[in-house]
Amino acid sequence: MLSASALMGSAALMTMSDDAKAATEWAEHFQKNYRLMTDAEKAEARTRLERRYSSEYGKKVTVDTTGPQPGVLMGYALNVRKCIGCRRCVHACVEENNQSRGTRPGEKIEWIQVLRMERGEFSKDKMNQGYPEGLGIQVGGNAYTPAGQVLEGQYRYEPEAVPEKDATYMPIACMQCEKPPCVKVCPVRTTYREADGPVVIDYNWCIGCRMCMGACPYWARRINLTTPVLPKEEMNPVTHYLGNRPRMRGVVEKCHWCLQRTRQGRYPACVEVCPVGARKFGNLLDPESEVSLILARKNVFRLKAELNTFPKFFYFYD
Amino acid sequence: MKKLAFHTMILAFCCGMMTSALAQEQKAAAAQAPAAQPPQETVCFESRKGASEVTKRDLQPGWPNVKCSPKTGAALWYGDPYDGTVPMGKMPGLEKIPEGHAVVKPRSEKLAILPMCATACHNGVGPAFNPPKLPKDKKPIPIPTMEGLLPDAKDLQHGRGRIWCLDCHHTTKRNMLVDNYGDPVSIDQPQLLCGKCHGDKMRDWRDGIHGKRIGEFASTGKKRWFTCTECHNPHNVQDGARNKGFVQIAPEAPPQLPKGMKDAKYERVHGIAH
Repeated sequence: MLSASALMGSAALMTMSDDAKAATEWAEHFQKNYRLMTDAEKAEARTRLERRYSSEYGKKVTVDTTGPQPGVLMGYALNVRKCIGCRRCVHACVEENNQSRGTRPGEKIEWIQVLRMERGEFSKDKMNQGYPEGLGIQVGGNAYTPAGQVLEGQYRYEPEAVPEKDATYMPIACMQCEKPPCVKVCPVRTTYREADGPVVIDYNWCIGCRMCMGACPYWARRINLTTPVLPKEEMNPVTHYLGNRPRMRGVVEKCHWCLQRTRQGRYPACVEVCPVGARKFGNLLDPESEVSLILARKNVFRLKAELNTFPKFFYFYD
Repeated sequence: MKKLAFHTMILAFCCGMMTSALAQEQKAAAAQAPAAQPPQETVCFESRKGASEVTKRDLQPGWPNVKCSPKTGAALWYGDPYDGTVPMGKMPGLEKIPEGHAVVKPRSEKLAILPMCATACHNGVGPAFNPPKLPKDKKPIPIPTMEGLLPDAKDLQHGRGRIWCLDCHHTTKRNMLVDNYGDPVSIDQPQLLCGKCHGDKMRDWRDGIHGKRIGEFASTGKKRWFTCTECHNPHNVQDGARNKGFVQIAPEAPPQLPKGMKDAKYERVHGIAH
């Protein structure tokens, strides 16, 4: 009894503490899964986090808790013919979403990956060459031409200028599946599909088991193996609880279609920055939105459709 | 011994040269520094180099209107998507969009010689225009001044020889473009001109499929539309160092190499165990 009261006393002391970080961490131990929290608890968590981040990063940080808007189902489309592989989307995402940006191994996290693929072709002189030889996994092309084999190192392409003559680029990130394998495997049910589409993570409940990373067929998830490196001046102070708020060590993170922007009606950061306009975002329930019109009018495919994950990220070409 | 002495002399000479060169550079830097310091402006290009640009400024402390890439100078992130925009003006097919919800960045601001076009040279006065007459055929006559001002005009890479200047530029108002009916339209509304030939692209652009829009994603939301000439150089859409229709640009930095991979070519050299 004595020890219990002592514990409660110390708990009270911790909560009243002036140190925003200590107070937050203590309170977070008693916090529910985000989906089970009442509005009052959400508001409390929000105030707590705003106080913590503001003191940690030395500027006014807001943590949004806006829920899904009725009549909105977010969808994304990407024109693979247009992509030039300039990687501006990758860096826009990092600027927006407060990823770790250190230099040591595992400290640099990027959610979008731009795959570089060699162009395949059917030509007469290659018809009898048989199956491709060489290294790597064949991801494109056809059985007669070794073009389309991709080594992991190729994604780190760094030519003088893009697009290169012999390459095609295919950016991948979280596909926001309607039947997400990552959600199925999560043992603590911290990752789930929001009502307006995106699959999100309650970072506080993530135990860092990385089951979701293994389950995701699109290599979309990243783990904070180290304490994230996020300089104060580069931190984006407009955040969302399920979105880009600074993460802690040992949690998994991934693209969430810039929830802090899209819940307020803005385009995601990668869409706004694409210099060739290959990236399109819109409301699938609105027949006038660009994504609905693309689905109606263009040649559309989904990545690894045979896995029945039903992505809401569509690739198209003119 | 003699050789060594000679080498030493060369080394000493080079060192002397270098120090003097460095000192000169430092001097130059010192001279430039005070001049460059007060504005401290970061300007980054948006879609292509030489077209629209944004100047970085803080909207709130720690919240800039744009973030620029230190590597390539490209705009990497938008805090304020409507920076420096004006209403688009009338556009057939976009009547559903509420008033003021379609904005563009005026192109005329970036075209340095545009204000002079209709005053300095193509002003309707002078012996060639008195009485006013139009050229007999569509063969452009090389005018050295014009070619000097606009090198792209020398060998127009648009239309594969089928079009010439006055198919797009207005006959008498040279700072304007021509719409479907031959009437002058502002240079800020190139879509009214380009859609004459590229109708399929204009339909897609109007619906947001072709080209780029930033701002609010709802179909009736406020958006900044990128006009045709912000991404395409109308005088050079065909040739040059391009692939897939785009002028080549420098890419941003690649991601971190996986642990254990020394460089991007590592697998090609060492093979992978399957």
